[in-house]
Amino acid sequence: MILPLAHLGHWLWTFYVVPVLIVVIGILRTRSVQKRREDKRDASRRRPPTGRAR
Amino acid sequence: MSFIPFAHALIVKQDLPIPAWLFAWAASIVLIASFFALSVAWRTPRFENERWRPIVAGVSNAILGWPAQIVCGAIGVFLLGVAIYSGLRGSEAPDRNFAITFLFITAWIGFPFFSALLGNIFRPFNPWRAIGRVGGGGFRLVAGQRSAHLAYPRALGRWPAAVGLLAFVWLEVVYGSTGGVAVGLDPHVAGTAALLYSAYTLAMMALFGVEEWCERGEVFSVYFGMFSELAPIGVQRGRLGWRKPLSAATKWATMPGSAAVVIASISSTSFDGAQEGAFKGAIESVFGDVADTGISLITALRLTDTVFMLATFAGVGLIYALGIRGMRSIPRAPSTAKLRIGFAHTLIPIALAYLIAHYFSLFVYQEQAQFTYLLSDPLGTANTDLFGTASGAIDFHVLSGNAIWYVQVVALIAGHVLGLALAHDRALVYWKDYRLATQSQYWMLAVMIAFTCFGLYLLSANA
Repeated sequence: MILPLAHLGHWLWTFYVVPVLIVVIGILRTRSVQKRREDKRDASRRRPPTGRAR
Repeated sequence: MSFIPFAHALIVKQDLPIPAWLFAWAASIVLIASFFALSVAWRTPRFENERWRPIVAGVSNAILGWPAQIVCGAIGVFLLGVAIYSGLRGSEAPDRNFAITFLFITAWIGFPFFSALLGNIFRPFNPWRAIGRVGGGGFRLVAGQRSAHLAYPRALGRWPAAVGLLAFVWLEVVYGSTGGVAVGLDPHVAGTAALLYSAYTLAMMALFGVEEWCERGEVFSVYFGMFSELAPIGVQRGRLGWRKPLSAATKWATMPGSAAVVIASISSTSFDGAQEGAFKGAIESVFGDVADTGISLITALRLTDTVFMLATFAGVGLIYALGIRGMRSIPRAPSTAKLRIGFAHTLIPIALAYLIAHYFSLFVYQEQAQFTYLLSDPLGTANTDLFGTASGAIDFHVLSGNAIWYVQVVALIAGHVLGLALAHDRALVYWKDYRLATQSQYWMLAVMIAFTCFGLYLLSANA
């Protein structure tokens, strides 16, 4: 059986884009996780110390 | 896979064990693994110091001395003269005329290959430098003083070379591309262009000085010299010596326009590869629209190709700019301008990889012609047989389709891994904290993977 895929070749470029997308998404995700962690750390530093009332 | 009836199959000429696109995935994995290996094991800059060691003085003097300089210069001038003469007076068939193969393959592709291995071998053979030096010497003899030169505008940097490089490639792949009307660039045009370029170069050398122009504006000196920075052999203070491979490249991109030269190299090779493959459909579509405006078909084709060539230059530049912008977002990053110049040399191995990947087989085939029938019958008129090899022919069986493909893949991967190593090394100079340096290189990793996949796609689309 011959599959009707005569023009599949036109879409082969998408296979070459996938590795680039994976890396770019990985970078953006790492950056956002890192930024969230830094924001959390900054927020905890800014919070006034909760000393016991005497 | 062979049961799938691809209209433009990439498996027609190659019988690969896996689909071509899987090579792009494998190459990306190699780059990612190299990236992590570099970030773990490479924590101090290693390429900034060339570790130059002089070779035996006798050998250095023999290679760099005046007698060798005169002989090499004379050979360069003679070969340029033969190319111009055969271009102007020889056969109109590009494949039978010495000029086309010599200028566009033997010199244009051969010098980058051998410069990357042996150092700046074009410098002694540069015909314009030889003529300029003789002219300067003659002036000193007659006038009794050195000729005065204009100060070269610093802001111009290597931009004249970048523009000239694009113009040279344009002449071959756009002006010479006639959509099947002829088989390539007319040798008469190549001869005239070589003559005009010689006049322009000698005029610029007279204005700004021979060495100054060779360093910044002379297209071939800058272009071949760029690849020679990768070589383990170099000259320092007039003496030949060994140095760490790639290390000299770290000092190459110190003036404006250097990034443009290397981007022009990558993009012109990419466009040449894509013109008949990946971009073919888009070019045909735009060509149809341009031709409908009523201009001649040849003009429409050249206009379309020019637009696509400039778009490729802009696209490659944009990918590099995105990498630089990504690095700029890392804490304690230098200015964008410093990053743009500071990382330009990391693209040199990629430019070489693209050259090897696209032209390796062409070089192997055409050099058989160069050293047989083109040498014996440079005019291509079938009237001369100087060395008895005029009846020689190209043996296309010296390389199999698969061998070519594997050379292309290995060249692309090796070039990008070396580019990644150079970028990582430079990042360690700019960011003293190796963790920040590694973070900055995430973006260069993306750039390298983009270039690798783009390069492999172009090759597969041409198959």
